[in-house]
Order: sequence, then C-alpha cells, then structure tokens
Amino acid sequence: MDFAPTSPGTRAGSITPTPLKILVAGGFGVGKTTMVSTLSEIPPLSTEQAITELSEGVDDLSAVPDKRTTTVAMDFGRITIDNSLILYLFGTPGQSRFWFMWDELASGAVGAVVLVDLRRIDDCFAAIDYFENRRLPFVVAVNGFPGNDEFGAEAVREALVVDPDVPLIWTDARDVESGRATLVSLVEHALARAAATAA
Amino acid sequence: MTVPYGPDNRAGGRVVPVYALTRGRTRSAGKDMPIESLVTVTEHGLRSRASLDIEYRKIIELGQRPVSLFEIGIALGVPVGVARVLVSDLAASGHLVVHAPPPVEAGGGPSPELLGRLLDGLRAH
Repeated sequence: MDFAPTSPGTRAGSITPTPLKILVAGGFGVGKTTMVSTLSEIPPLSTEQAITELSEGVDDLSAVPDKRTTTVAMDFGRITIDNSLILYLFGTPGQSRFWFMWDELASGAVGAVVLVDLRRIDDCFAAIDYFENRRLPFVVAVNGFPGNDEFGAEAVREALVVDPDVPLIWTDARDVESGRATLVSLVEHALARAAATAA
Repeated sequence: MTVPYGPDNRAGGRVVPVYALTRGRTRSAGKDMPIESLVTVTEHGLRSRASLDIEYRKIIELGQRPVSLFEIGIALGVPVGVARVLVSDLAASGHLVVHAPPPVEAGGGPSPELLGRLLDGLRAH
C-alpha cells in the first residue's frame, strides 16, 4: 500500500461537513414535489428508488431471482446552510404501503412537515399517526389550495386531532419565503423539544 | 492496492446490470452509511483519480464539494445501495472520507446546538 489509510486531509480543509434532513410528507398531490423543488438549490430531482434498497441495504437479488423490486418516486432537495452544514429535504411517498421505508428516512431527522389539503384532510392522518408514534417533531402545514383559508385554526386542529403543541401553519408550497417560514417553524419546534428533553 | 474490479469492459456505456458494478457485493457497506451521509475527496483521491474506472472517477469529481450518498446515486444513475458499495470501496482505499450524520440525542434528533445553527441559517437565507 502506498498511502495511509483514510487520510483525514479532505479537500474542504479541516471543516467536517454535517448533513441534516427534513421530511416532507402528506397525501398524493398535496404539494410535496412543489415544496421540495421550490426550496431546493439544485434542480428538482425526483428519483426512482428500489424500496428494498432503502430499507435493507442492497438485497441479494440473485438468491431470489423472481423477487420483484418495487420502485417509488421520491422528491429530493438540498439547501446549503453554510460551508459545513447541509440540509436535505426528502418528499416521502404518500402511499401507506411504502411506509416501512420511512423508518430509515425518519431516523435522525430534524423533523417533518405534514402538508395538508383541507379538501382531502383524511389523506394526512396516516402521516400524522406515523410521526406521533415515532415521536418525531412535526408541523402541520395547510397548503394554499382554493378554499383552504375558509377554516379557522381551531376547526382544523379539531379535525386533525393533533396535540396542542404541534404548530399549525398556513403555507404556499409554490412560494420560497413561505416554504422557508414553514421550515423555520419546524426547526423552532424541534429545538424546543430537544431543549426540553435535555433539561 | 487499487480500487477493486478489473479492466473496463463496458465500452460505450453501461451494458451490464448495475449490480455487476459492485461485482455482486451487496451488503459490504452495511447500514452504517445512511443515505444523507456526506462524502468528500482526499488529496490522495484527487491525485490518483486518473487511474480509476469511470464510476469511481465520477464520484471523485462529485466529492470535491460535500455531496450525499443519495446525490451520488442519482448522478451515477444507480440505486443508492450500489452507490453505497462504490463509496465504501473509495473510502477503504483512502480516496474519500465519509462524514456520517450527527449522533442522535436522547430525544431522537440532532443536538440543540446543531438545530440552533440550522435555524440561524434558515432565517438568514
């Protein structure tokens, strides 16, 4: 061998880059793709990934030649916070049969934004249940579809049956300022939770 | 030591299944490299990239700025599991350094210090 193993001399100097991630969840067509691509600094990427890969590493497909892998579309975005902190956004597939895949995505995440369309409120219940069970911090963000401002916060909270400490906000997935404000609410909430746990 | 797999017989684009890129290795990288893990290239990696096969060279190019395993998979057009194996090869041979996500605190998420930095950064954007 003509080199030292795992030289620490990285190109970026002595700064150790750190990745963080936030999930964007909600029912089909609620605006996950729009929100992720609006906020991302890289071109919108929707990628097909074999679900067995995300949950299990790489399956040894040769052992089960007739095993079918299902691919799911996942939205993906990146926000470089500073030269050593990078935030990734994952728009998680809405179909509940893929939820076992969320475990890897949710592990270590800052939290989740649950997007809601009040015309189809049932679509977000599964996501809310999932994050509550995992005790992952989340905010409920009502996307600005027509008619979604006709309901007050109290009515929405009642319909969603979320804890009073879960932030409920109105957002516009097409608008970068609005999207950023949504992320800020989530991180504030996560920070308050983390501080309370540490205390 | 050179990065594994032999002479490039994939002339004119990929004509073999992606799993052949990893020579059938599937679980060598394990689950200890989450998909948001960041990769940066080392000085050694930069110096010796010319001798590498094309997929590895591409990863070296991408790693000149911090890039996640997931992005590498997309850029190479391979599943993230395959990217994980290729990145492990390059890390084992000293071409790359892998930066794991931050340790998880008691509450299950990143530390208050990191969350504070994230919050400041998002507000300043």
